[in-house]
Amino acid sequence: MRDPDLTVKIGKLILKNPVIVSSGTFGFGQEFEDFFDLNQLGALIPKGISLTPMEGNPPPRIFETEGGILNSIGLQNPGFEAFIKNKLPYYKDLKTHLIINFFGNTRKEYVELARRFDHVPGISALEMNISCPNIKRGGIVFGTDPQMAYRLVQAVRKVTVLPLMVKLSPNVTDIGSMATSVVEGGADAVSLVNTFRAMALNIHTRKPELGNIIGGLSGPAIKPIALRMVWEVSQAVHVPIIGMGGIMNAEDAIEFILVGASAVQIGTANLINPKTGIEVIEGIKKYLVQNRINRIQNLIGNFQINQAP
Amino acid sequence: MPFQTEGTVIKNERIQSLYFLLGIDCPPIANQIKPGQFVMLKVSDDRAPLLRRPFSVYQSCPDHYPEKTNRGCLFILYKIVGKGTRKMTALEKGQKVNLIGPLGNGFTLPPLPSSASNILVGGGVGIASLHSLAEILRDTNLFVFIGGRTREDILCVEDFKKCTSAIFIATEDGSLGVKGTVVDLFLTQRRKFKGSSRPYLYTCGPMAMFQRLSKSFNAKKFICQASLETRMGCGFGACWGCVVKTNHPQTPYQRVCEEGPVFYLENILWE
Repeated sequence: MRDPDLTVKIGKLILKNPVIVSSGTFGFGQEFEDFFDLNQLGALIPKGISLTPMEGNPPPRIFETEGGILNSIGLQNPGFEAFIKNKLPYYKDLKTHLIINFFGNTRKEYVELARRFDHVPGISALEMNISCPNIKRGGIVFGTDPQMAYRLVQAVRKVTVLPLMVKLSPNVTDIGSMATSVVEGGADAVSLVNTFRAMALNIHTRKPELGNIIGGLSGPAIKPIALRMVWEVSQAVHVPIIGMGGIMNAEDAIEFILVGASAVQIGTANLINPKTGIEVIEGIKKYLVQNRINRIQNLIGNFQINQAP
Repeated sequence: MPFQTEGTVIKNERIQSLYFLLGIDCPPIANQIKPGQFVMLKVSDDRAPLLRRPFSVYQSCPDHYPEKTNRGCLFILYKIVGKGTRKMTALEKGQKVNLIGPLGNGFTLPPLPSSASNILVGGGVGIASLHSLAEILRDTNLFVFIGGRTREDILCVEDFKKCTSAIFIATEDGSLGVKGTVVDLFLTQRRKFKGSSRPYLYTCGPMAMFQRLSKSFNAKKFICQASLETRMGCGFGACWGCVVKTNHPQTPYQRVCEEGPVFYLENILWE
């Protein structure tokens, strides 16, 4: 059998395979070049960028829980100008897609950033973050109110021709209606889930484990909930879905693809095994060969629900 | 340049109370790692703990190491402090472990041979990252200050004795050496280092130790480097989880794993 065809489409964007590394867990990419060839990835999403530099939250910013990681990094980043000047040149010779994750504190900032990135050569798509649990303004405020999200996406849509994906928060009652709102606003795709708002404390010191008290939970602990949400969204909208939430290996990734994700993002796992991305690609390929499936596109949403387990 | 590699456990023994010494045969890292740099160790193949754990290297024996038996090996001195380190005690000889290293920036040393005084101040398990430094500085004016809560926390004095005879010990309960903290002890002795060319001070220990040190004397009279320990996510600069606040004008929160773990003490801001 020939090598299976791993290409997937996210709107007009064609990825050579469905594995993307997630914003905030992959630095600016360079941090991983000693471990593997970044060009093998379906796409790369560097750390989220804001209009002006963000200092981030006070430490401690990270804490391990059972099967998960709590973080409150607070979107520390150098801001648009420093990113363009100091980080963008690194991606010049990249032979995979560069997707920019961005966020604002206000609607005006989101629009201004999208407008600016629209003119930057070398960017394949935008991922709009309306779901960070770790900043006070913006972020999650837009991501938990369907009306606000709709208006925000609509405003951003007007200023960019780049494929636009919106990263959704799981901290909502009905993720299907959030997805519907952002698609009505003009999103070409949705990516989900971001982290779950969560906390931890030390009973001996009686202090919180995070400087910010509340953080976002990621890792294998959240996978079953993330999977359910991707499944719900796949029934609610008809745009491509990028699934994520605790994917540690190819088996996890295949579950997300089966419930309707066209592509997946690897997040927390990058921190533990920096080579997870390419191992997932290899594992998916192997699964397709073993199951005699020629194209990964035949696997997307191929979830058998009519038969009892 | 860090890499991800496998090593083989050659020993994992309790040295005293809660302290263990783990030996790993891993020539690629043993050949490259410098004092102050660290490795990220996957303590267990399963998901508990999920994250790797950072460890500085107590001793690394590159291919040209005088003692032949341990060539290609590195040794990690660790204390049981939580689930990760407790699980680590179960590692057995012959077992494979996954490592990423060498990581971070090590200590800056004076050009050798040097007439400057080199002063090592370590608290508790923090002494681990200073031992490999002591081995390199053994032919200089080397002073070692070792501190801990009780005599059970004073580690590896015999190993340091191979590098210098100027060893000072302090315990908070007075059960060994001088009663008090290692910082107190260093401060009482600091006049010793007056007059010589600017001495180098290398420290490792809990945050409170650095804080006390930076507040209690004029660090500018010394070239004072501190090897910091914070909770880490990845260890190689990707997550920004391990930051410490510094006086850096553009980026006050610097990554301990990438810009550190060794910082000049004067650059750290204590809140």
